[in-house]
Amino acid sequence: MTRWFEDITVNEAFPLGDHTFSAEEIIRFATLYDPQYFHTDPELAQHSHFGGLIASGWHTVSVGHRKMVDALSAEEERLRGLGQEPGVSGPSPGVNAMDFKAPVRPGDTVTYTLTVTDKRPSNSIPGWGLLFNQLTAVNQRGELVYEAHLVGFSKLRDYRMPLKLQLLLALTRVPVLGKLIRRGS
Amino acid sequence: MTNPVTKDRRHFEDLAVGEVIDLGHTTVSKDMIITFAREFDPFPFHLDEAAAKASLLGGLASSGWQTGALSLRMLVDNFLSKIASCGGLGFRDLKWKNPVMVDDTIGGTVTIVELRRSTSHPQWGIVTLDFDIRNQKQKPVMTMRLANLVECRNPEVAA
Repeated sequence: MTRWFEDITVNEAFPLGDHTFSAEEIIRFATLYDPQYFHTDPELAQHSHFGGLIASGWHTVSVGHRKMVDALSAEEERLRGLGQEPGVSGPSPGVNAMDFKAPVRPGDTVTYTLTVTDKRPSNSIPGWGLLFNQLTAVNQRGELVYEAHLVGFSKLRDYRMPLKLQLLLALTRVPVLGKLIRRGS
Repeated sequence: MTNPVTKDRRHFEDLAVGEVIDLGHTTVSKDMIITFAREFDPFPFHLDEAAAKASLLGGLASSGWQTGALSLRMLVDNFLSKIASCGGLGFRDLKWKNPVMVDDTIGGTVTIVELRRSTSHPQWGIVTLDFDIRNQKQKPVMTMRLANLVECRNPEVAA
């Protein structure tokens, strides 16, 4: 999925599109995952300092992730359309920082933008690279809803396995020897 | 100006650094994984067993965001719905340490590691919480440090 690690440009901003949050979906998400009264009950929510229903931060972030996945799929389609083989995205090892800045209320439209701020080959997983991503979410009034600093895996196109690893891999293909090596590791 | 929803709950002054909250546990079914992934994380390795086997995860696993959301749910049930919580500020250093596979049971503890009054809003305090989420084999699944606002019972008392 998406571009190869080598083709990812640092500091290029990708617009991920927007999402309008309805009261119904705010309540549905929060009922499952974050059932606090200001996320699930419009009447009781009036007593909170928000003065009404707001989306769970985890909800706005999960939608942001969905927008990112959709953008990566669209990029994959675009590359295939150009006759190129797209790269491969892997799972994420984590999130360095997530700051919730402004609440999301029913009817708010949130616009998401992704920027790769840095990249380097992974030390722990040969053949993969690490991407350091910044994701920002802004509402229709231009207020920052949240800012996230995420880490993601991306496959290297030009990776060549070191000779030692190649040799070990070849040895595991020898029937009896391979069994012993796999058992030992 | 007392909040009728939270007036009988524990407030900022009632919390102590070092308090450990037991989250209980929750089992993650294949149906739960696919339902969440369809809506929020439709990578093939969260939707399809064959694609998942071929991926770094090695099998069908929950979205990391779902693991976080389920951990948050356990925190709400066991802590945030019992205190005068007034929303999350964000989190730091979230690490997905091992994937959550179909039918894994996750659970763990949250520890209060810091309590401080808000400098800009005297009616609030900030509780900082460390998550330690593990699977049924006690292997670590997720850690993170979450900051949440809590109403003070006596805002007029200086911090």
